Amino acid sequence: MSATVATTVPRRSRHAHGRSATLAGTGTLVRFMLRRDRIKLPAWVGGMGLYVVYIGAALPVLAPTEEDLAAVTPMLEQPVGRMFTGPAYGMDSPTYETFFAGGYAPYLFLIAALMSIMLVTRHLRVEEQTGRAELVRANVTGRHAPLTAALVVALITNAVAAVVVSVLAMAYGFGAEGSWLVGVGTGTTGLAFAGVAAVTVQLAEHSRSAAGMAGAVLAGAYVLRALGDMAAVGGSALSWVSPLGWPAQTAPYVLDRWWPLLLHLALAVAGAVAAYALQARRDLGAGLLSARPGAPYARPALGTPLGLAARLQRGAVIGWGVGILAIGAVDGAFTDVMADSVESMPAAVQEMFGMEALVNGYLAFLAVFTGYLTAAYVVFAVQGLRSEEGSGRAEAVLATSTSRTAWVGSHLLVIAAGAALISVVTGLGTGLAVATVMDDWALLGEVLWAHLNLLPAVLVVLGLCAVLFGWAPPLLAPVGWAVVGLMIFVGNFGELLDLPDWIASLSPLSHPAQIPAEEFAAGPLVVLAALAVVGVALGLLGFRRREVQAR
Amino acid sequence: MSGSAPVISASGLVKTFGKTRALDGLDLEVAQGEVHGYLGPNGAGKSTTMRVLLGMLRPDEGRVRMLGGDPWADAVALHARLAYVPGDVELWPNLTGGEAIDLLARLRGHFDRARRDELCERFQLDPTKKARTYSKGNRQKVALISALASDVELLLLDEPTAGLDPLMEVVFQQAIREAKEAGRTVLLSSHILAQVEVLADRISIVRQGTVVETGSLRDLRHMTRTTVIADLGRPADGLGRLAGVHELTTDEDGQVRFQVDGDHVDEVVRALAPLGVRALVAHPPTLEQLLMRHYGDAVEPRDEPVEVAR
Repeated sequence: MSATVATTVPRRSRHAHGRSATLAGTGTLVRFMLRRDRIKLPAWVGGMGLYVVYIGAALPVLAPTEEDLAAVTPMLEQPVGRMFTGPAYGMDSPTYETFFAGGYAPYLFLIAALMSIMLVTRHLRVEEQTGRAELVRANVTGRHAPLTAALVVALITNAVAAVVVSVLAMAYGFGAEGSWLVGVGTGTTGLAFAGVAAVTVQLAEHSRSAAGMAGAVLAGAYVLRALGDMAAVGGSALSWVSPLGWPAQTAPYVLDRWWPLLLHLALAVAGAVAAYALQARRDLGAGLLSARPGAPYARPALGTPLGLAARLQRGAVIGWGVGILAIGAVDGAFTDVMADSVESMPAAVQEMFGMEALVNGYLAFLAVFTGYLTAAYVVFAVQGLRSEEGSGRAEAVLATSTSRTAWVGSHLLVIAAGAALISVVTGLGTGLAVATVMDDWALLGEVLWAHLNLLPAVLVVLGLCAVLFGWAPPLLAPVGWAVVGLMIFVGNFGELLDLPDWIASLSPLSHPAQIPAEEFAAGPLVVLAALAVVGVALGLLGFRRREVQAR
Repeated sequence: MSGSAPVISASGLVKTFGKTRALDGLDLEVAQGEVHGYLGPNGAGKSTTMRVLLGMLRPDEGRVRMLGGDPWADAVALHARLAYVPGDVELWPNLTGGEAIDLLARLRGHFDRARRDELCERFQLDPTKKARTYSKGNRQKVALISALASDVELLLLDEPTAGLDPLMEVVFQQAIREAKEAGRTVLLSSHILAQVEVLADRISIVRQGTVVETGSLRDLRHMTRTTVIADLGRPADGLGRLAGVHELTTDEDGQVRFQVDGDHVDEVVRALAPLGVRALVAHPPTLEQLLMRHYGDAVEPRDEPVEVAR
């Protein structure tokens, strides 16, 4: 039979290399991925390292003695603190190392998870979506090679991150075993979420949906951990359900137990196994969940520049708005905890400020905090204009009878309305939380008013972004984010560091009255609003004069 | 050409990006109601011309009028009268194709809903899919359908069929003919020669930011040589001495092959007649040959100066 001749070679190779055939080219792909990420991955890992260096250096400055440390520990030990950080192991007798592990390490876990989700999505789903995967797979590259290579790269990156974090923590004299636990816990958290993302990239046809699903798992893990840890010191059952709870349950420098990290490894392996199984069942480029069909016709509202801007900006307003509202409401709900802690402060302090003044100061700070975040939303949203322009979509709209003023103006108007909406909703949500826990409904109005009072200051940031977009578009991102950074810095540390007035006055949020701690003042608001309007007008003028940038 | 004012008239356009001269003294004239092929290799300045016509870019030098207005200053008013299809269509990933079609058409002004649906049908586009799921060809269809369904005088099409398959190419050609019948003017940039050959009334060939030739296909063909392949009964010794005959070759079977200048075809045909012609193939220059004269490395030296039509 001719088959004997024809199949000799393939059969032998299939027999001998049955498994490796689907993995052919993995090594090359690993090197290729590392090469493509030669800036990104070192930046992520370097960022984690810098974070450890910064915290290690800052702790002795913030709290030079053990008494100082003990004084700030309630921040982490109270339910609200536990919600944001972790189960608060060892906070009864805090040291720098337990403070580092309890208060700051949880962010390392979060960063590692985000890094791994993005790494896996970038190398698998984005590649398939763009068709580049096809180009690669058309060569001598096995079906499972890209997935294997991406997981290997995730393993390498997280291993390096683990070593960097551990070594830097030990460099500050933190205990070796605890430091290794923090570092390895960071790495295994990353691996676990690499496993999650390996599954979601099989499910969704598009990278954004895939990353979104993995991100939702991460968000869910965060919420479960937060609720679980809020319930009790040392966490509760809910903490143990969350992959973000596991590394905290190793209790570095306190109990130093390794076995919770086995759960991460199990999750990573389960994710990988599921991903291989799913991948073997689907076509290249296809997802297991198909995209839903949408509207065949545009609704009438979409046919105007304003309607388009509203549609395009909608997602950002909702996303940022929900996040800011959640933070505001949670912070608001802890006003009574804050008030109780005032009672435990030295009598002299209480006398100096008075209980009411301290509560009012806290409420005013909540509004300022919303102010930073809303300003960040504004900078983010205006950058959407840059991507519209860079992608050529702006050109498609401007090639219709839509004027440049109408195009930019609609977007800026929608962003301004979005910022106002976020202020109102967050003001209401925070106020409601404050009023409930303090059992004083007058506070609802005050908190809302405090939020609205800062809106003109936030709109100054919009004006600035408009000017940058109109006249110097490449500066939009760096300058915009720098201003947000400055606002946060001035707001958080301005008084603590005794900054010169001129630096503090650079932040638009420094100018409005600190309601409810201070009396309302209309003057600054008028000036800020005028600045915002001038900025927007100048920005529109600039965009009319400049060329539309091509890809 | 009709007597009315040209729809597009540009002269001496210069546009530089850093050291690159994207447009280098470009002249272009498009008459009312014609399909004007705008032909050139990649990077010749076709897209830059389009973007100047759209008022996205301001030329460094030169004068440009479109539909009686200034593309930069009167952009909005002019855009109500034209539709543009970019070469590389980018859409909003979370809008469906149908939404994008309607959106762009409505932003232009008038559009024909029935025609839009008919075009979706003809181009076989599913308008319910999100734009992020579309291939390049489907994104191109979205922009084309939106433009063709709009009630406009001028269509600016920048390599509009780069991602379309041959069947869709036929649909596209039919749609352009319908646009022409409806009295629309079309500026069709392309490097697909066959497409321009089929559709265009007149052609401008652009190279390195300059229009090197303009005219109807016939005019341009006149300037180049017809290729003749003939099976002759008698030796063709005399042919090579005739004026306008180039590159004469004869193979063992007696087949003669040569090129003849457009203005000498008549004499050559007379000279062939008594030589016992058994088979004769004469074909006009293809656009490839036209372009080769300007871009090819294998260009013979020209005996006459290039005529730049204005």
